[in-house]
Amino acid sequence: MEYIVTIIILVGLFVILAASFDLIIGYCGLISIAHPIFYAIGAYTSAMLAKEAGVPVPLAMLIGAGAALVSSILVALPSLRVSGDYLLIASIGFQLGLIELAKHFHEIGGAGGLTNIPPFLIREVGREAYAVLVVVIAALTVWFVRWMATGPYGRMMSALRDDELAFSMLGRNAIWVKVSVFGIGSAIAGLAGGLYAHYFRFIEPDQFGLLASSAVLTMVVVGGMRTTWGPVVGAIVLQLLPQAITFFGLPPSVLGPLQGIMFTGLVLVFMFMRPQGLVAASDLWRGREGGARHD
Amino acid sequence: MTDVLRIRDLNKSFGGIVVADEVNLDLHAGRVLGLIGPNGAGKTSLFNLVTGVVKPDTGSITLDGQSIDNLPIYQRARLGLARTWQNLRLFPSLSVLDNVMLGPRDYPGEKLTSLIFDARGVARRQAEEQDRAHAILKRTGLAGVAQSRVQDIAYGQQKLVGVARALMNDARCLLLDEPMAGVEGQAYGAIQRVVRDIAESGVAVCVVEHNVAFVRDLCDEGVFMFAGKVLARGTVGELIADPRLTELYFGT
Repeated sequence: MEYIVTIIILVGLFVILAASFDLIIGYCGLISIAHPIFYAIGAYTSAMLAKEAGVPVPLAMLIGAGAALVSSILVALPSLRVSGDYLLIASIGFQLGLIELAKHFHEIGGAGGLTNIPPFLIREVGREAYAVLVVVIAALTVWFVRWMATGPYGRMMSALRDDELAFSMLGRNAIWVKVSVFGIGSAIAGLAGGLYAHYFRFIEPDQFGLLASSAVLTMVVVGGMRTTWGPVVGAIVLQLLPQAITFFGLPPSVLGPLQGIMFTGLVLVFMFMRPQGLVAASDLWRGREGGARHD
Repeated sequence: MTDVLRIRDLNKSFGGIVVADEVNLDLHAGRVLGLIGPNGAGKTSLFNLVTGVVKPDTGSITLDGQSIDNLPIYQRARLGLARTWQNLRLFPSLSVLDNVMLGPRDYPGEKLTSLIFDARGVARRQAEEQDRAHAILKRTGLAGVAQSRVQDIAYGQQKLVGVARALMNDARCLLLDEPMAGVEGQAYGAIQRVVRDIAESGVAVCVVEHNVAFVRDLCDEGVFMFAGKVLARGTVGELIADPRLTELYFGT
C-alpha cells in the first residue's frame, strides 16, 4: 500500500511539474529545460527552513515557492530582455552551477544529500492524506494552467509565441509577460519541491539535474504540449514506465542510464512519429468563452 | 494643422549603409502622407525608427509633443502609435477576431492581478473590446471571416486584418507599410476607404506604397525619399511629374 501511495505522490508531483512546465515552454514558447532547478530551490528552501529554523512546514513550502519565484525572475530578467535562446543557455548554466554549488555546501548536506527533513501530515494523519494533498494541488495546477491559457492571458501568450515584435507593437509588454509566466511556472515547481522534500525526507543535488530536465520535457512532449491533459497523461505514462523497468531487477548502474536513454528516445520517436504528443492540441487558440458572439 | 508626429534631424546608418540622413518630417492630424521612393530608400527603416524597432544614431521624435526617444516599442504603441507590417506579421495561432482583439492600447487582462482580483471588470471590458473588434471587422469587410484562421483567408484580407488590428489601438498616428502590395479586387477599395475614414477622424496617417495610383488617390501629400534622405515634398501628382524623381525611382 505504501508503495502505491508513493507512486501516486510521485505521479502527482510530476503532473504539477509537467503542467507548470507546459505553461512556460508550451503556451508561452519560452525555451528552457531548467525547470527542475526551481523544484530543487523549493525543496531545499522548505527543507532547510523547517529543519533548521523550525518554520511550520506549510509556511516553509510557500516560502520555498517564493524562493523559486524570485530566483527564476533573476535568471529570466536579463536573458528575456533579448529574444533568442539566451534563456535556455542562462537557465541551464544556472541549473548546473547551482547543483555543483549545492554539492560543495555541507550546510545543506553537500553531495551526499540533505537528510532528516521534517515530515508533514504523514505521522499525524497518514501517507494517504499526503497523497490527497498532492493530488489536490496537482488538480489545482492543471486547472490554473488551463485558466491562464484559455483566458485573455492565453490569447497574449499565443500571440507572443507567434511573433514577439508584432506583439510589442500592439502595446503589449512582451518582457513582462515572459518573466511573469516563467516566474509563475517556476514558483509552482518550487511548491512541488517542498511537497517532495517533506514526504521523502531526503533530497540530493543530483536528482535535480539534466536527467530530471529530460524527464519533465519528455512528459510534456509525449503527453502533448499546450493541452490540459497532455502533461497529466505524460506524467502518468512516464512515471509508470520507469517504475515498470525497476521490476526487471537491473542494477542501479544500468537502470539510471537506461531511464535517460528511454526519455531521450521517446522524445525522438514522438518528434518524428507524433509531434503533437498523445493528446493533440488544436493549432488555433480558442478562449474558454467558446465561440465568439457574432453581430 | 496639428502636428501629431514630429521627426527632427534623424540619422541612422548600418555600417556604411545610410537609411536615415537628416530626416525631418511632420505628420498632421487628419492628413494622409505618402512615402514614395525606390526600394532601399529608407521608407520602412523610417517606420522602424519611429516605432522603436531600431534605435536612431541621432535625432529626436515626438508624439503629440511628448518625446518618445527613450521609450520601448510597447510604450510608444500605448501612446497611440500603431503600424502595419510589409510582411503582415499576423498571429497564425489566433483567429482573425483574436488577432484584432489584441490591438487595444490598454488590453483588458494584461495584468494578472486584475485577472485575479477584478475578473468581472476584465470580462466586461473584454466584451466591450470584442464588440469594438466586431465593428472594426465589419468596417473592414472582414465580418464574415472573424472566426477563420488568418492563413486560411485571402492575402488581401490578411492585409486588412493587419489594418484592423492597428485600428483597435485607437491610434493618434497610423503607419501603413505597403498596405496594397499583393492586394487586388474588393480589398483594394476597402483599404482605401478605411484609410480615408481613419484620417478624417483626425488620425495622422503615413503610407509607404509602391502603387502610385493608390498613393495619388489617397494621400493629401507625398514625400520622396532616396538613400535615407527626404528629397522632395509636395502633392503626389507633383512628385510623379518631376522627371528628376522619376529617374531616381526607375533608375533610368
